[in-house]
Amino acid sequence: MIPVELQVIGASLRAIAEEMGAVLIRSAFSANIKERRDCSTALFDEQGRMVTQAEHIPVHLGAMPEAVAAVRACGPEPGEPWILNDPYAGGTHLPDLTIVTRTGLGFAVTRAHHADVGGSEPGSLPSGSRSLAEEGVVIPPTRLDEAAIERLVSQMRNPDERRGDLRAQLSAHRLADRRVSELCGRRGRERVVAAMDELLAYSERVVRKALHELPDGRWEATDLLEAPDGPLELQAAVTIAGDGIEIDFSGTSAQHAGNLNCPLAVTRSACFYVVRCLTAPDLPASGGAFAPVDVRAPEGCLVNALPPAAVAAGNTETSSRIVDVVFSALGHALPVPAQGQGTMNNVVLGSERFTYYETIGGGQGGCPDADGPSAVHVAMSNTLNTPVEALELAYPLRVERYALRDGSGGAGLHPGGEGVVREIRALEACRLSLLTQRRSTAPAGAEGGSAGRPGRNLLNGEELPAFATRDLAAGDLLRIETPGGGGWGEPA
Amino acid sequence: MGVVHALGIDVGGTFTDAVLVSDGAVRTAKVPTAARQEESVLAAAAAVGADAVDRFTHGTTIATNALLERRGARTAFVTNDGFEHLLHLRRQTRAHLYRPCAEHPAPLVPLERCLGVRGRIGPEGELDPLDPSSLPDLDAEAVAVCLLFSFRDPRPERELAEEIRRRHPQAHVVASHEVAPEFREYERASTTVADAYLGPVLSRYLLALEAACGGAGLPAPLVMRSSGGLATLDEAAAHASFALLSGPAAGVVGAARIAALAGFENALAFDMGGTSTDVCAITNGVARREHERLVGGFPIRLPTLAVHTVGAGGGSIVSVDAGGALRVGPESAGAHPGPACYGRGGTRATVTDANLLLGRLPPTLPGAIELDHDAARRALGGLDPEGVIDVVNAEMTRALRVVSVEQGLDPRDFALVAFGGAGPLHACALAEELGMETVLVPSAAGVLSAFGLVAADERRDEVRSFVVPLEDAGELPGEGEADLRYVGQSFELTVSLGPGLAARFHEAHEARYGYADPHRALELVAVRTAEVRPAPEVDVSGPALSVAGPTALELEGATAWIPPGWAGETEDHGTLVLRRSA
Repeated sequence: MIPVELQVIGASLRAIAEEMGAVLIRSAFSANIKERRDCSTALFDEQGRMVTQAEHIPVHLGAMPEAVAAVRACGPEPGEPWILNDPYAGGTHLPDLTIVTRTGLGFAVTRAHHADVGGSEPGSLPSGSRSLAEEGVVIPPTRLDEAAIERLVSQMRNPDERRGDLRAQLSAHRLADRRVSELCGRRGRERVVAAMDELLAYSERVVRKALHELPDGRWEATDLLEAPDGPLELQAAVTIAGDGIEIDFSGTSAQHAGNLNCPLAVTRSACFYVVRCLTAPDLPASGGAFAPVDVRAPEGCLVNALPPAAVAAGNTETSSRIVDVVFSALGHALPVPAQGQGTMNNVVLGSERFTYYETIGGGQGGCPDADGPSAVHVAMSNTLNTPVEALELAYPLRVERYALRDGSGGAGLHPGGEGVVREIRALEACRLSLLTQRRSTAPAGAEGGSAGRPGRNLLNGEELPAFATRDLAAGDLLRIETPGGGGWGEPA
Repeated sequence: MGVVHALGIDVGGTFTDAVLVSDGAVRTAKVPTAARQEESVLAAAAAVGADAVDRFTHGTTIATNALLERRGARTAFVTNDGFEHLLHLRRQTRAHLYRPCAEHPAPLVPLERCLGVRGRIGPEGELDPLDPSSLPDLDAEAVAVCLLFSFRDPRPERELAEEIRRRHPQAHVVASHEVAPEFREYERASTTVADAYLGPVLSRYLLALEAACGGAGLPAPLVMRSSGGLATLDEAAAHASFALLSGPAAGVVGAARIAALAGFENALAFDMGGTSTDVCAITNGVARREHERLVGGFPIRLPTLAVHTVGAGGGSIVSVDAGGALRVGPESAGAHPGPACYGRGGTRATVTDANLLLGRLPPTLPGAIELDHDAARRALGGLDPEGVIDVVNAEMTRALRVVSVEQGLDPRDFALVAFGGAGPLHACALAEELGMETVLVPSAAGVLSAFGLVAADERRDEVRSFVVPLEDAGELPGEGEADLRYVGQSFELTVSLGPGLAARFHEAHEARYGYADPHRALELVAVRTAEVRPAPEVDVSGPALSVAGPTALELEGATAWIPPGWAGETEDHGTLVLRRSA
């Protein structure tokens, strides 16, 4: 196929995925989707390969193919939406509700993090969950008709908001269906299918070429996760050989009784993120880019968990730390950034009446050629904040301080970015659930740079652990201080 | 209206364009833009032979350039105690997903001039009384004031701004409720800061221009705003951020006017210049508008024509990337050295070089630029010039789809108005790609922004913030627009005011998102009204001609390429109406 036609069709497919994302965000009801944009949209081909994704959230990126595979196995009819969230059948963690439909070219996918899915705590990210069932309704691939919508939302908190958000997802699918038909009508389905094959091959070529230019070898790194029941070990061995890369997690702790476990799909996403940063950061997202990446992890370990392990924090926290450990291993051979905050600082405040969910930015580690940005999401997330005005209009909460955390970034030739301080006062009784990392260990510096400062969770001035659930009374003040990034290089 | 002489002058990066309409006769002129824009304005006025001008209208890039080049005033930012870092926290997203240390543009106010004052209101009213005495001393030429919830109750913010004006009478003070009284504090603060930062620069320029005009016998100009409406010089100087899209807006107004004169109510404006291209949809004779956009990486929440800009134009550089794909832009050869065929030292291939090799350009361009075929061929190497044009056209097609298809508009119902130096070269191919039947090429295609200035209305926009259930909103104006959403949503749809408001919203939601829920309550977010003083009737005409493709046609400051299968003739106002022959 001539490159020009390829680019034209590629641009059209990307535009469809982006427009799906815009429709979902603009018609959604919960702050987590409409303000924070905790959602992704993508198009897949008939064989279940990701052709293009609207790039919102990296952790969704590599984890969608399993969702398509799971629905594809059910033989869906065109125009028939299917939903799932089961981490062991195509999902990530339960609040991420994924809808898959067949289109004239393959599949369209939307994934959105819903504010609640009926878990034991409001927000359905209980800090102390020990099995999947405590985290909410587990949805295997299911046909999503009106009856199914009603059945599902009736098991969740704020069913009206859930229903509105699911309708917003379905709007994006209707749009995808229409746009795909238009594109096939304009270009000819055969040509579009040929272009999709070529786009996948093109991405693979670009990444293989970049990998080929990296040194061959095998490097290892280990790191510790902060779990309520004691530290867990992450171990990664990375091998670059020619134009391929293998990342092996043998030696990693076994899955544990808490919720830092992740399904392999999430682990893959984290590995793809690192490879993307080091090879082709500007390449449009497509499954071809991941073909050269082989991720291995023993079944039943923390990063390839088996049911019924709880997974709430695996998607946000463990995924962040997998990025850290893979970068560390590659740091033996390549210039890599110092460690960033290594957590998403998950905060849930809620009751039977409302659910506020937020992840808070922090410091990025310094890079070999640039300072680490302050107050940003690092690695696997890139959600926006909830504006103070949006938050206070929607919830019985008041923000009392929102600031950079001065002095939290590690010193270095390229200093780490600063973390964030966010203080929220409860105006009525509610439950607090915190899932965080880097509270007792610090994001490391690189090449002589200093570590960033660990984060802190404070309730009325009293320090809480990395994972905590509490009853809050009206007037209680929560203060989250997020970690700073590590510095890169000896300070000048 | 007794207007005899209407003058429009648009200052661009490279050229300053003038259009003078007198009793239906149109004169145009193009002069190089000087470092001091007011000098270019006078030079252009002289070149076009402006005399006894009744109405002088002006488009300027002063505000945009000052923002992009960061040459604004030394500005302070004042907000609630505890939120001083608002501009530096942004919305917490990083600049690039896979380049961890990519930076956003630095905020316009450094941390040391971001200050807090005690006192706070919440969604339900006052929580702590404002304490102006807690405000530290300011060291700034301009001050932006943005307090939380000032869109609900502007009184504390107004009181604070007055106190700052009293303490610092020389400073240019802007309060957020004056420019963007809408919710989401970061976007409102960002707009306010840009307004304060650019204010002194724009007002200095406008005062100098006013004085220069007085000396040259020209009236003080009306100034084009991003909304496509003109403001008096004083209004424009008071709020500089409203002029950030002055130039592109003028082009769209010109395109709308040309389309209307030729009998087309629905048109897509397509302005392709050397380094970038601006497109905008016009429906029922009115350019589409939006309420927020990014300029230089900063959100600007102001009424703006919905102009979509892509970083590709005639001077864009062509390259082949690592995977073997052909890329056009975003790098540009600019005016210096310019495309290789200009023979001014450029060696990298551009879109213009490809057009030359395809025989679509005359041997000489205005400004006595002799085009060099050999240099163009050397620069392109083995690249197929047709392929280069196809890639840039794909980019342009995508831009046109963003403002049409993605807004629920079918391009087949629209005419394509092609202008800018390169617009008429590419328009017919784009029309074919989008299934459009008609291309309009104005006789003044090279200076259409200046023509738009002549044709623009005076306009004052007003936004009133509500954020209340629709049934509690009380009486609303009969004309204008309402921003509505279902209770619980965060993004609004804008529908026209008047009877049947709720039904119109449900219809719009159905059209945009594929469903409506008449049982859900509606929330009124804002009401937008505008006071309009219409432009004087200007009549234009041009030479009559008739063409059939394939042929190239030289216009004033632009070249048109009419491919095989396209033909047309000029209508009464000198606009070439091209159609696909059956």
